[in-house]
Amino acid sequence: MIFDRPTSSELIKAVMDFLDTKIKDELPPHLAFKLRITNNVLGMVQREIDQGEQLSEEVIKAMSAIIKSDDLTTKELSNLIKNEDLDLSDEALKDLLVLLSKNKIAVDNPNYSTYKKLIK
Amino acid sequence: MQEELASALSKKLLEVGIEGKVSNLEPLTGGASKEIWKFEVSNAKQSAKMILRRGSGIEGPLAIKTADEARIQKEVIKVGAPVPIILAVSKNDEELGDSYIMHFVEGESIARKILRDKEYKKALPILAYQCGEAIAKIHNVDINNFSFLPKKPAEDQLEDLYSTYQSFEQPSPVFEYAYLWLKEQDFGNFQESLVHGDFRLGNIIVNAEGLQSIIDWELAHIGNPLQDLGWVCGNSWRFGKNDKVVGGFGEIEDLLEGYNSISKLKVDKEMVKCWQVFGTFRWGVICLIQAYAHLNGTINSIEKAAIGRRVSETEIDIVDLLFLGGE
Repeated sequence: MIFDRPTSSELIKAVMDFLDTKIKDELPPHLAFKLRITNNVLGMVQREIDQGEQLSEEVIKAMSAIIKSDDLTTKELSNLIKNEDLDLSDEALKDLLVLLSKNKIAVDNPNYSTYKKLIK
Repeated sequence: MQEELASALSKKLLEVGIEGKVSNLEPLTGGASKEIWKFEVSNAKQSAKMILRRGSGIEGPLAIKTADEARIQKEVIKVGAPVPIILAVSKNDEELGDSYIMHFVEGESIARKILRDKEYKKALPILAYQCGEAIAKIHNVDINNFSFLPKKPAEDQLEDLYSTYQSFEQPSPVFEYAYLWLKEQDFGNFQESLVHGDFRLGNIIVNAEGLQSIIDWELAHIGNPLQDLGWVCGNSWRFGKNDKVVGGFGEIEDLLEGYNSISKLKVDKEMVKCWQVFGTFRWGVICLIQAYAHLNGTINSIEKAAIGRRVSETEIDIVDLLFLGGE
């Protein structure tokens, strides 16, 4: 990347802090609720920038053990399940679906109760 | 804009014999697709708090007309289900649009407050039983009163949800797996019932004594009664309290005890399991519907954009239920 600091992740963090410390208390309740959502969204973007590549690569690597072609995408995996080209009772497939779900929620909402329970 | 709304409300209320000045209009956080206004109506003799619930005209494909919600509430109140009293109904072509006016019910609907605040501490342990009773009352209503509602058997809904999911061309391996799993399940061939369709914290009003009112009937339909029980036991509606299977506040045994004390159909825990998976998949598809309403430009909304990233919550819940012994 040719860009200077602050990085995109650091810029988003700055926006989040600004909204949280300077704006939140100025808003009527129904807008404060929307601001909370806005902050959650920015958090997702920040985590995707910071960890998205690694989380995706882990899943792609795990897919390579199950998918025989070079098309290591969630689209291809969906098709293989849909057409029952994979053994649906295979524990390795179940483990892969668990990993995929964990790595997605790690970006989308790491505070989600089921995720917190499963990584304990 | 608020003055126009106040005058439209006064006019509507006058039609049903309620005369008074409308004041203190206040927007409340409603569902993602409805406007909710709280207001006061006062005349020389008295004043009353009321709620306007109004459709935006861009509801999702699963929602019924807002005015039809009022028709349901008018019926279920007769069998003792707790719902707000309907005062006036407005059709789409009237000034207020597709909407209705009801009594304001004191209490709280915001899930996190109900689960957190001291005020509701005594209500939480009895709430699951009360919810069971209330759901059973809804299911006991004579469905001949509801010819205007869609009939949605489990198998049809599953196919509809799956094709809706497919239409967005965003393949999910977990949803594909869940769909195949759900197709193999026996949902039970029970007598068709009025199904609330979205019974959970957020859509009920609670005070220190417990359940006060059931609101938000937009997903109501005629179908399998177990759907409501599986829905309220989904982790999507536990608001972080994973260990409390019923809505983040109660035990499934209490919910079913309350339900079975009134319902003709007697339900056990095992019958609810596949409905939890069904409900989680359904919520996932609803998240997709909402997100794509934003993405395809139907409605520009930060809430709807954000909800697209809640699909992964339903995916992890599905793998937890199917593979990891989740409840």
